[in-house]
This record gives sequence, structure tokens and C-alpha cells, in this order.
Amino acid sequence: MRTILQAENLTKVYRVGSVDVPALRGVSLDVEEGEYLAIMGPSGCGKSTMLHLLGGLLTPTTGRILIDGEDLTAATDAKRTDIRRRKIGFVFQRFNLFPTLTAEGNLKLAEGIHGGSDGKKGGDPERRREVLRLLQLEDKMHHKPLELSGGEQQRVALARAVVNRPAIILADEPTGNLDTENSAIVLNMFQEMNYRFNQTIIMITHNPEAAAMCRRIIQMRDGQIVAPGPRVQI
Amino acid sequence: MESLVTANVRQRPVRALVSAAGVALGVCLVMLFTGLARGLSNDLERRSQNLKAEIVFTRDAGSTQLMSNAANLSVKYAEELLKVDGVAMAVPDIRYVSQGGKGFGFEQVEGVDWNQFAAMNGMSLVAGRGPQGLDEVVIDEAKSRNNNLSVGSELKLFGNQTYKVVGIYTPEAGPRVKMSLAAMQDALQAPNKCTWVYVKLRDPARAVEVARRIDEALPGNKIQLTRDIITNIEKSIPYLGVFLRTLVGLSALVSGLVVMLAMYTTITERTREIGILKALGASRGFIVGEIVKEAVFISVIGVVAGFAVSFLAGYLIQHAYALPFEYSWLWGLTAALIGLFGGALGALYPAVRAANLDAVSALAYE
Repeated sequence: MRTILQAENLTKVYRVGSVDVPALRGVSLDVEEGEYLAIMGPSGCGKSTMLHLLGGLLTPTTGRILIDGEDLTAATDAKRTDIRRRKIGFVFQRFNLFPTLTAEGNLKLAEGIHGGSDGKKGGDPERRREVLRLLQLEDKMHHKPLELSGGEQQRVALARAVVNRPAIILADEPTGNLDTENSAIVLNMFQEMNYRFNQTIIMITHNPEAAAMCRRIIQMRDGQIVAPGPRVQI
Repeated sequence: MESLVTANVRQRPVRALVSAAGVALGVCLVMLFTGLARGLSNDLERRSQNLKAEIVFTRDAGSTQLMSNAANLSVKYAEELLKVDGVAMAVPDIRYVSQGGKGFGFEQVEGVDWNQFAAMNGMSLVAGRGPQGLDEVVIDEAKSRNNNLSVGSELKLFGNQTYKVVGIYTPEAGPRVKMSLAAMQDALQAPNKCTWVYVKLRDPARAVEVARRIDEALPGNKIQLTRDIITNIEKSIPYLGVFLRTLVGLSALVSGLVVMLAMYTTITERTREIGILKALGASRGFIVGEIVKEAVFISVIGVVAGFAVSFLAGYLIQHAYALPFEYSWLWGLTAALIGLFGGALGALYPAVRAANLDAVSALAYE
């Protein structure tokens, strides 16, 4: 298996007023292509900070991140944005869809951004159809987010994240705002994406049932990985 | 697919309309002021061109501009002018300028011997007769049409004095209202005086030569060729050009500020959406582009609305106050560019600010 993400000795210190607050204290992590990984831990342990670092939304105070061979930490802001555009898909707890656009509009916007420098503004209609079919959203494409249930919104967010075939999907508590039934649907979709497209997924979750569907679970506490779980071969 | 730009505009229609109204206001200011200045200028020029006299003779201190209230020249100069070789006709004239009847602009009245004046300028009456009594006037067709006046109508001049319309003439030349010289002298209590004397030559090609002869025969007076008289209002009012340019600058500022304020508010409202764009990998250029595109879209609506309102307002003012509006393509293009560039520039600062937002903070924005 190819290593798609490599994080070496990451630290992150926030400056709050005149006080330095360490959020990550030397985290190292290797993720293989097609891996479905859960990160668990109590609130404030540094999970979200780590996810934001891996996605290039934050820069580490020290350490190095390689995504699909590209050094995220050595990159300029513009280069980091470019790597994020090409390699990363985000799924958030609060869905974060554009409320003014339809579900299809949200997907096309992501495709438009992804195709920005590649001249493929129209996206890949075949891929879009396949994703929509898989996420059972074909009949919801012309609905705006407020016209969709929470589960449907999160499925649209997932569709938006995968439509450009990113190397990695980073999901920040994707079932945190969903009821049990919708959580199950969304988690099944994640699993389906992982199986069908060999999609690498790193998911933060507080939900043990969600974590149980992953091939590996790592536990964090006080800015460190305290239990790097074994990989499960499926 | 509905773009982010149009979707955002549809989401906040009132904000978009207020912004567009700001741009429209700038366009209206440019179009109405320049349209009015051009209309008045061209109107005066047209009417001046219909005056066939080659020379205007007046006192040195007098004015040969189109607006004058002085009547300080003796009418006897007309007789002296007729003695100069080459002069065919000499017609004394008093011009009186007052505020427009409805409080807008100005109105000119001319006192002149109608028969002589009409003969000199090839004018004729299309209705009624020439003015004879002290309370009689003739008007041109435009005045008749604009003010709904006909033979027998009455109009107030010099404040409260009532005059009766006895004739309607064509073509328009000089002031639209004309009375006899005696009537004007009586009204201004200036017996035997005039503002200037129109001089018609036997050979118009020899105007310079005859003017020199007049100067030799009647020294100390002002002799001006009518072709040299400034009829362009922009040139005759030296600061009008500066005023118009200042107005254009202010219009651009108004458009820019309104759009900037609107887009600044938008950025604050949509902080989280900008965070999402960043998470999706949108570059700074993409974010700036989307915001500027939205501002330009709003500006286009504003420019179109501005033109529509300008033409409507111009039409209504022209009909209500008889003020001529003439729009030019050049000023129209200027107004459109001001609206578009003002809007785009106004959006630039909020757009750059949005592009520089911290993605994580933006995503956490409530």
C-alpha cells in the first residue's frame, strides 16, 4: 500500500494574548491510500487542529506534512490552496453548503473551483452522476439546502467532497448534527465511498459506532496520539 | 446552473437593489446634468445660428454674450451705422434675461422692430401678426408648443406684467419671446436705448472689412462678428466644464462608496461561506473574482436603471419646464463606465479583505 499522507512530529501553538497555548505536541501519523481512519478523543485534545493542519487550512508551528508526495508545510499559501484544491475534500459537522445554491449548484461550484486552473470548468458529468446515484441524491439535485433534511444535506456535502476525486477526505464529526438514522445512512455512504472508490478518509468522531466502521482508530489526548490503533484489513 | 453571483443577488434582493440604486444615482447625475448643459448649449447655438446679421455693435462695456440686461446704447447709432459703406440694415435690439417662469433656468425676452428683424433673418409668422402695442408679444413655435400658448394667450413677463400673444413665428432665432422695441423700452424705462444693434451687410464675405470701417467711423464701441460670438454654453461659462468633471468624479465616488458598503456588509454576512470556499480550495483570485463579479452584476443593473430613469426624468422635465435635454453617446459611455468601474473598484477592498480571511476563523464564524 502507498502512503498517501505523512505527518511528522507536528506541533501547533496558538498565541492567545500573551499566552502560548499548545494544541498539538508532536504528532506523527502515516495514512495509506484507501485507508478509512477515525480520530477520537475528548474535546480540546487537538483533533480539529490536526485535521485543519492536514487539510492545509492551518500551518504547523513545527513538523512536516506530505500529501501524495507534496510537502504542504514548505508550500506558500497559494501553493497550499492549490494542493487543497487538488488533493483534499472536506466534510464538516455543520454541512457548510452554500444556502443560496441548489445541491447541484454546490457540486458544480466545487467542480468549478477544482477545474479552475485545469480548464475543466464543467467538471466530469459521468463522475457526478455516479456519485449522485451512489448517494441517492438524484431526485434532490434541484433542492436548496434548507429544503433538505440534515442527512440529505450531509450527503450533498459528501458528494461535493468526493466529486473531484480528492486523494483524501477529511471529515470533521460528519454525524455530529444528525440523528441516529441519518448518521447510519451517512456512515454507510462513507464506507461505500471507501469500498467503491478506494477513497482515503480521515474522520474525527466522538461516536464509537462511527469509529467502529473504520479500519483504524487512533486516540488523542492533550495534543498527542495516545493510542495508535492497528490497521484492520478488510 | 445558477451561479454563485446570481444566487447571492437573488438571496438579498433589497440589498442588491439599494446598491444598484446607488450606481443608478451616479449615472442619473451625469446623464441629467450633461444632457441639460448640452441641450441648453445646442438650443442656444441653433437659435443664434438663425440670426443672419454679420455684426453686432454695442457699447465697449456692453456685452455681446447671449445674456445681458443692459440697455445703454443709443438707438441713434443705428442711423449712423446705415451711413457706413457696406451696411444694408441696422436693427436695434434690447435683450432682457430673467429667471424661468417655473423657477428653472432663465428666460429671455427681446425687444426689436419686428418687421425689420423678420426681414433681416428671413422669419415669418405662422399665425397672427407682429407685435404693435406695448402689451403684445410674438413667440416661436417651440415656446407655443412647450407652454401650450397660442394667439390670444396671455403670459407674465417682468414679474407681474401681462402680455398678450399676438403671433407665432418661425424659425426660432434668439429669444423665444419678442416684443416691439418701444414696448421693451417702456417696460425697462429706457427710452431711445438698446442693448446692441444687429448689422446686416450687403456682402457677408466682407464682414471684417466693414467692421474695420465701422470702428473707424464710430470709435470707442465694441464691434463683434456674430460668427465669433461664443454660442457654446460650455465655453461661455468657463467653469461649467470644471463643474461637469467634478460632478462626474462625485458620481464615481457615490457609486463606488455605495457598492463598497454593500459588498463590505456582504462579506461580513458571508464570512462562513468564504471559509467554505477556502476549504474547497478556492484561490484568492477566485474569491476576489466572485465578489467583483457580483458587484459588476449589480452595477450593470444600476447602469441600466440609471439610463432608464435619466431618460424618463429628462422627458418629464422637458415637458414640464421646457428645458431641452440632449444626451450624447460620449457622456452615456462615460456614465456607464463610471457606474461599472465605480462598482468594481468599490468592491475591490471588501473582496481583498475576504480573500485574506483566515479560513479556520471564517468557518467558525456564526
